[in-house]
Amino acid sequence: MADESAVQVESKAATLIEPDLNFVRELKEAGGDTLKKCFQCATCSVVCALSPDQKPYPRKEMVYSQWGLKDKLVNNVDVWLCHYCNDCSTHCPRGARPGDTLRAVRALSFRHFAFPSFMGKIVGEKKYLPIMLAIPVLILLLGIKIAGGHIPEGAVEYRDLFPLLLVDAIFVTVTFLAIGSIGFGLWNFLQGIHANAVAEGYAEDKPLAMGDYVKSLISVIPTILLHDKFKLCTTNRDRYWAHILVLVGFVGLFIVTNLGFVGIYGGPLLGINTDFLAPPYSIANPIKLFALLVGIGLLGGILLVIANRLKPKDAESTISYLDWSLIVAVLVTVSTGLLTWIGRVGNLGTVAYGIYFLHLGSVFYIIAYLPYSKLAHMFYRTVAMGYAAYIDRPFGVEGVAAAPVAAPEVEPTPAAEEPAAEAEPVEEKAEAPAEVEAEAPAEPEEEKPAEEEEKKE
Amino acid sequence: MEKKVGVYICKGCGIGDSLDIEALAAVANDEFSPAVCKDHDFLCSKAGVQVIQQDLNGDDAVNAVVVAACSPRVMQDVFDFGPSVVLDRVNLREQVVWCQPAGEEDTQMMAEDYLRLGLTKVGIMEPLEPFQPEEEMSKRLLVVGGGLAGITASAEAAKAGYEVVLVEKEAQLGGWMNKLYKQAPMKHPYTDLEDVDIADRVKAVEEDSNVTVYTGATMEKIEGAPCLYTAHIKQNGNVVTERVGAIVVATGAVPYEAKKLKHLGYGSCENVVTNETIEELASKGTITRPSDGQPVKSAAFVLCAGSRDPEHLSYCSSTCCIESLKQAKYLRLQDKDAKAYIIYKDMRTPGHYELFYKSMQEDEGLFLTKGVVSSVTEDENKNVVLEVDDTLLGEKIQLKVDMLVMATGMVTNAAIGEEVELVLEDEEEGAAELEDVPADTIIKSDMLNLEYRQGPEAPPLHNGFPDSHFICFPYESRRTGIYYAGSVRAPLDGPSTIDDAGGAALKAIQCVELTSQGMAVHPRAGDMSYPDFFMDRCTQCKRCTVECPFGAINEDAKGNPLPNPTRCRRCGVCMGACPERIISFKNYSVKMIGNMIKSINVPDEWDEKPRFIILACENDAYPALDMVGITRQQISPWARVIPMRCLGGLNLIWIADSLSKGIDGILLLGCRHGDDYQCHFMKGSELAEIRLSKVAETLDRLALESDRVQLVQLQITDYPDLPRIINEFSEKLDEVGANPYKGF
Repeated sequence: MADESAVQVESKAATLIEPDLNFVRELKEAGGDTLKKCFQCATCSVVCALSPDQKPYPRKEMVYSQWGLKDKLVNNVDVWLCHYCNDCSTHCPRGARPGDTLRAVRALSFRHFAFPSFMGKIVGEKKYLPIMLAIPVLILLLGIKIAGGHIPEGAVEYRDLFPLLLVDAIFVTVTFLAIGSIGFGLWNFLQGIHANAVAEGYAEDKPLAMGDYVKSLISVIPTILLHDKFKLCTTNRDRYWAHILVLVGFVGLFIVTNLGFVGIYGGPLLGINTDFLAPPYSIANPIKLFALLVGIGLLGGILLVIANRLKPKDAESTISYLDWSLIVAVLVTVSTGLLTWIGRVGNLGTVAYGIYFLHLGSVFYIIAYLPYSKLAHMFYRTVAMGYAAYIDRPFGVEGVAAAPVAAPEVEPTPAAEEPAAEAEPVEEKAEAPAEVEAEAPAEPEEEKPAEEEEKKE
Repeated sequence: MEKKVGVYICKGCGIGDSLDIEALAAVANDEFSPAVCKDHDFLCSKAGVQVIQQDLNGDDAVNAVVVAACSPRVMQDVFDFGPSVVLDRVNLREQVVWCQPAGEEDTQMMAEDYLRLGLTKVGIMEPLEPFQPEEEMSKRLLVVGGGLAGITASAEAAKAGYEVVLVEKEAQLGGWMNKLYKQAPMKHPYTDLEDVDIADRVKAVEEDSNVTVYTGATMEKIEGAPCLYTAHIKQNGNVVTERVGAIVVATGAVPYEAKKLKHLGYGSCENVVTNETIEELASKGTITRPSDGQPVKSAAFVLCAGSRDPEHLSYCSSTCCIESLKQAKYLRLQDKDAKAYIIYKDMRTPGHYELFYKSMQEDEGLFLTKGVVSSVTEDENKNVVLEVDDTLLGEKIQLKVDMLVMATGMVTNAAIGEEVELVLEDEEEGAAELEDVPADTIIKSDMLNLEYRQGPEAPPLHNGFPDSHFICFPYESRRTGIYYAGSVRAPLDGPSTIDDAGGAALKAIQCVELTSQGMAVHPRAGDMSYPDFFMDRCTQCKRCTVECPFGAINEDAKGNPLPNPTRCRRCGVCMGACPERIISFKNYSVKMIGNMIKSINVPDEWDEKPRFIILACENDAYPALDMVGITRQQISPWARVIPMRCLGGLNLIWIADSLSKGIDGILLLGCRHGDDYQCHFMKGSELAEIRLSKVAETLDRLALESDRVQLVQLQITDYPDLPRIINEFSEKLDEVGANPYKGF
């Protein structure tokens, strides 16, 4: 997109403001369709359990969004401190849904920092969905062709369809590409939020000290794993369990995959016997049991996510394209993962190979598009929360946590004011599942290969 | 008229329990010898009223009635015996038994005094005859100004069956609305621009057979009074006269002068224009830059340009927010990528306009911020560069736009013209007092050219708007029979103008209807009394003509007052002003109040029962006193309340009467005056205060303490405080001591 928005500090103290009309349109497209309704009363900042006392969000982000001030938004640390509780949206007297607007800002931030940038566009816009789906299908079909190109006969043995080495070659490559891409994006993001925090006056005007920053980053990991901030949400409290299950599922599968990887390749490399770690595992193997447990946990988590989103609650979460494209991918991955195992154990023949193909495809989809999809939030948010700790910007602190207004039900529903405008989110809600908006550990890149390898045995 | 007085005492509502009714009747019989004196357990019942009615019939019938029962503010329909019967209501319930302890001697004395006051009053009052002039009274309406307000007022009056004469100075009707490209939405869903519908309204009025239209015409002069006006209309050099009964003034407003807004770059930057220019440009097709004729891609609309600014107009001009939103929409419809910035102080879009504001807010190309424009310059390409402080963006910002549009405020046409002051030619008796009375400023705006002693137009209230206190007196001006509507009266938007015009038309209709029956208009609607001038004793001092708050009295060349009863609102200010006491009503006069004061029984100093009089304004103070009773609060038993139409009717002789009678003090309860006045007659309580300032000197000369006379301003809602005010006055009189003239 044309980077029309520019915020330059003039010698005179007045900042030249040039709104980017396209950015406003993109925000509306990305789920912030109500953002223009805001009339800056700041109810949102008052009711937010997480917002800091000084220069609180989301009131100021709302006016930046209305004015299309892209630079102030994609480089904004505060939008990442928001956990999409939606207390703000519930209490907003104008139905401006600040929570949705911040979510849209985050979605456009992935796209802004995407490397290569066309990937951001492909993943972010609905019209490119066929391309997104075609890429893994074509690559996997090519792999099958190389491996012989026929469906194996006899007992189900996935290696007969796809040799282990080929699978690993594809997925390790994709994983490292993803790591490289998101790493590049995160680096630019970190520089951007620092520069903007200096400009807006939250941070001291000096270069980022990487050592201190990494310490801050580590310090926030327990908060993230325990969902401490998430717990402070009022409106969307139901999402706490769903989100923590999904996160734990991903982390567990990440561990299992790494164990399997060590089992297969560790022996020759390290010169020790690691066969006891190598898949396939028998049903009685503790690794297998653990893998099944976290796999079912993840499935349960994602189903809860969907269920929460489908509940008819007027003022709560809406679903954007970026949300549901990830939710569906996770659901497909985890369910085909479990079915792959059943297919092998139950010796289901062609059906099993079909499921396995779907599974590999969805895992590819998740890993390859991770830097630009909704899942990227776990890295961006982690970086941002680390940065907030680094500049000592407190949010969701005890005193503030008690503040949210109880009984949001008694608040006037924005729907009453603007029936026509409110109809849209309801429609969206009906058509698609829910959203996961989570913090996650810093480097779980390999989670997905892990999961898939575990299946492939 | 030979009076035969009937006294009827009610015993209901606790009166009978609290008072000795026989002793009360004895006071009436012994001191006043009425034709009959009766009591009844329930006087306002059918049977009770029947008792009175029976006495009113027959050869030896009663023709003056004293009803000693509840407050005169209630049961008015029950105790209504027609204009030929003189009636007074003695307020035994609210102002005696409900605010005094039952069965006490002092309570009884208070009731007896009130009965004396009532009997004295009916002894002087005469039955009323409505004012009927020799000339025929006109019920036609004159509407001056043919814009949205004037057209609407004409159409509404015509619909109600009244003939209307509509005078417009431009060649065609329609006014300001003719200049607009589109109008802000007036119908559901209030989100879309509408074609200007003034042409349809004009057509309807032009086709209405009840409306006579004069275009290209002005008012040469207007003579007369309600129902008796002669309007001299100048058209094409000829003067036509029309007889009319009441006047609706709808002469509108003009934009504030843009050249005074240099701080917004007007005059120095080529692409700084007014909202009026945008309407012109949009009507021609495209909004373009004056500098190069290129279509505008970005514009900053600066609201409150001149309005709500102590340097310019102190008030909100009411329409700038909605009109600027509308013009921003012109730009956004012209170019979907155009940017429209709106810099406001507060976004004020009342009523259904809120829906338009909300719909505009949703436009992605509209950028709204609160802010103060601190500088405006232009760059080499003639782009306008403005700096805005105190913005919602949390910092001082700079915007670079193709064009800056100033939403200039509105100035009423009534405020445009030279000020005229009332000149007092010679030093006559009373002139010294006259100087203290603040003169009204009249602006010679050339709208009506009234032939009035007090100037050719109505006086303004605030900021040049010829308004009145709108809550109490909607659509009223300070000239009876002349009603201002639309933006000449207050800054108004389209829908409010339409409402205003309808209201003013109805007021004008009320005026001609009441006046033609010889009755007063609001606030004494229906009153058939009017002042009578005993000219033989007039000294031409002009106090009545100057002090009349409504300009009702003209003057001949010698300075004799020429009253216009149909302009009169019956407040009695002239009565209070006249040093010769020659102005009286048949049921309200200096003599009447004076005699009432003298009828009060003042006990000897040794009885230690002081007496003070409360002269209470009927509009707020008297109902507040009733409220004291209704809420069962107690006040000093030494008080005796005498209601007045307006404190402005205060004649200083009453103060002298009271004090020489041995009364210890006089408390005057009137309405608030000043900027947010609540006096029903505009400046009555203020005039009373000015007159009282003279009394202090007189009292000092008589070796009487000026503390004995006090004026308190209050409103009806102050009733919880009233017992304190009265009791403190009573305590102060105790400190001052008994009136030394007692017993003389």
